Amino acid sequence: MFAPPLRSTALLTLAAVGLAAQAAPLRYAEDRAPGIVNPAFATSMSEARINELIFEGLYTDSTELASVPRLAADATLSPDKRAMRIRLRTDVKWHDGTPFTADDVVFTVKALKNKQTASPEVGRVLWIDSARKIDRHTVELRFGQPEYAPQDKLHFKILPAHRFDGDVIPRTHPFRNRPIGTGPWSVTSFNDDNSVTLQKWRDYWGEARIDEFVMREVADKNYQAKLLVYESIEALVRVLPRDLATLQADRKVELYPYQTNSWWYVGFNQQRAPFDDPRVRKALSLMVDVPELLAPIGTGDRVSGPFVPSSPFYNHDVPARSRDVAAAKALLQEAGFTFDGRAWSRDGQRLTLTVAAQKNLETAQDVVVNLQSQLQNQGITVETRFLELPEWKQRIWTQKDYDLILSLWTFDRNEDIYQQFHSGGSRNFSGYANPQVDELLDKSRATTDPQEKKVLLRQVHALVAADDPMVFLWTLDSYAALSTRAQGVVVHPFYFFTFAPSWSLR
Amino acid sequence: MASPARSPRAWAFAAAIGRELATFALTLLGAAVLVQVLLALAPGDAIDSLPNAAELRPVLAAQWHLDDPLPTQILAWIADVARGDLRTSLVYRPGMPVLEVIAGPAWRSLGLLLTATALASGVGVGLAFVTRGRAWWIRPAVWAVSIVPVFLLARLLVHTLNTAAWSLMQAGSIARPGWFALPVEDHPFRWALAVAILAVGSGALAEIHAEAEGLLERIQGSGYVQAARARGAPLWPHVARNLLPPLATILASRAAFFVGGLVILEKILLLNGVGAILWRAAIDRDYPLALGITLLTAAAVGLARLLADAVRLSLDPRRREAP
Repeated sequence: MFAPPLRSTALLTLAAVGLAAQAAPLRYAEDRAPGIVNPAFATSMSEARINELIFEGLYTDSTELASVPRLAADATLSPDKRAMRIRLRTDVKWHDGTPFTADDVVFTVKALKNKQTASPEVGRVLWIDSARKIDRHTVELRFGQPEYAPQDKLHFKILPAHRFDGDVIPRTHPFRNRPIGTGPWSVTSFNDDNSVTLQKWRDYWGEARIDEFVMREVADKNYQAKLLVYESIEALVRVLPRDLATLQADRKVELYPYQTNSWWYVGFNQQRAPFDDPRVRKALSLMVDVPELLAPIGTGDRVSGPFVPSSPFYNHDVPARSRDVAAAKALLQEAGFTFDGRAWSRDGQRLTLTVAAQKNLETAQDVVVNLQSQLQNQGITVETRFLELPEWKQRIWTQKDYDLILSLWTFDRNEDIYQQFHSGGSRNFSGYANPQVDELLDKSRATTDPQEKKVLLRQVHALVAADDPMVFLWTLDSYAALSTRAQGVVVHPFYFFTFAPSWSLR
Repeated sequence: MASPARSPRAWAFAAAIGRELATFALTLLGAAVLVQVLLALAPGDAIDSLPNAAELRPVLAAQWHLDDPLPTQILAWIADVARGDLRTSLVYRPGMPVLEVIAGPAWRSLGLLLTATALASGVGVGLAFVTRGRAWWIRPAVWAVSIVPVFLLARLLVHTLNTAAWSLMQAGSIARPGWFALPVEDHPFRWALAVAILAVGSGALAEIHAEAEGLLERIQGSGYVQAARARGAPLWPHVARNLLPPLATILASRAAFFVGGLVILEKILLLNGVGAILWRAAIDRDYPLALGITLLTAAAVGLARLLADAVRLSLDPRRREAP
């Protein structure tokens, strides 16, 4: 037996202390743990966020939100813009040590498109006609129509072909709880308390500083800020407005504002009375005092149409509607309603509306109750209904059994509102239809010129705002909160952890 | 070897147990069918939880048998269960076999239930021994604590303990305890707290204590105990023999309450047992998972009743001889 020299022991001890210090995890809270860690089946933001740590796409966002290569090394777009040849990085390994190759890209595109996979993410690849392996580290993608900036759509996560048979990803595949990616962190355990532990992937091709991430499920949103104060977690993805002051006052917590492509609205059911009449929709829009609805739940920017003000598609020439009760009353009278000093009625029936909102939509209750109070003060009887997601989908989306809804739409960087406002859109459950808008949306999808797209969508903004399919409300100011131990933090407005490789933890 | 004189008793015992088993099986079936009907009546289904439900419905409805008529769905599920296949989770853990999803959580919940039951019985009966016939104020005191609903007790304790510990830590009076902050740290203290809350809350302890006091007074005043006391013989065999059957009945009747308390307690203390998962499965309309857990909990409650009946029948000669 040899006793190590004293100096070596001291160095080893120091190294061990250093390692122990580095091994401190960054723990973050989610309302709900991901049900499945497989980007092909991601249906919630908690799944999208954890996938960002584990998986990578061919391209990703820079901190300026421009597309930059990730698994791609470089690419050339054909002159007709219908094909793209992508050279892949050669130094990338999956978390099981298998090298990443062109087969994985081809597999991912084919498997996501496969109907048997039934992936909710299929929309991200439908525009790709085919994917072909050129050599071990080169693929060629062919598109259904010319693509001006295909890299902006090539952010979807790549999956390991060698883990699946054929070109299908079955939901039941054990990959669901033994996922491997090429990203900076790999899943090491799904824990009994629903938390998930991720550790730095030792063969990661890039740089990642934090050794361990732990996703903790804390169903009670009201409690998450408390845990950050108690130093039981290091990161809070979204701070509730009511917790802002507390966290701002805490010297160990840093707040990070970020803009989301997300806007709130009160939607009208245009397929039945009274909102099949545009005058009634406009009257309601003019009756609502939007700043008063916003004040109790936080701060944000008013929106006048279907984009956020920071979007290139936002039409700043369209003003947000201001409250004008006299004009609203005139419009209701024009639509056949009479006011008896207490309530509005038509054909002997009082104007009674139901406002529905999703139960898990934070602060929705405050907004709905204030909206109810505002409308009741104007003589409209309002009932409220809060629904769980499945009931919401069935009652609102499928049966279209509602008068008004309070909800929000969240978009990724493409801000594609086609499904919401095209008469044939799968998410257009309110029944909005304007042939001019349809035509502009079709053109905006077909165009390869970003400038033209901007012009077209700004026209859509103006037309939609004039039709009043909904009361456009606001985009909320969002804040993430992190322990001051976390350094170099930049958060991505949608996926949150996109820039986590450059974060560190003191 | 059973003596010929005891055979009729043994037959009666077996018949009684047989009846209980048949009731047990029918209860399981009834619970499973009822839950299927309730879930079918609830608006929305598992596909509605997905973002682009409309596009996915044609494929998933076929894969998940959601388009079949309800009776067909129920019969198919019963046939699968009879083969030992509880199917796979649809939303909570997509594609994972239900047994795999609930195996670990079920053991955790069962451990919690059994420990809480043992604690409630031990403390309730122990207190009754001490307080019987004296210290009249103890009963209302026990009631005052025990009557607090489980969810309120849990929230109060989590808040109070965290606030107190944080204040002491900030003042430098204590080092950070291993369990801090509740409930996110997986520490034995969190489990001990859960057991204590379940054993005490929603009237569990008060009911057992009150029943045990009454029973003890009756037993102590009975002729056979007085005779044993006069003979100088030990009293505990008589007390135990007469206390256990009614106590088993009380505990069995409380089993369903314990399970009910477990759902909310697991949610608050992030224990991720079958109670918390059942809550999630019901909201997500994850039918196979909700049904699997229902079957399991119905079986657990049924088994508790069976066990109580076995105790009662084996210790109470009058019941054993009953037709």
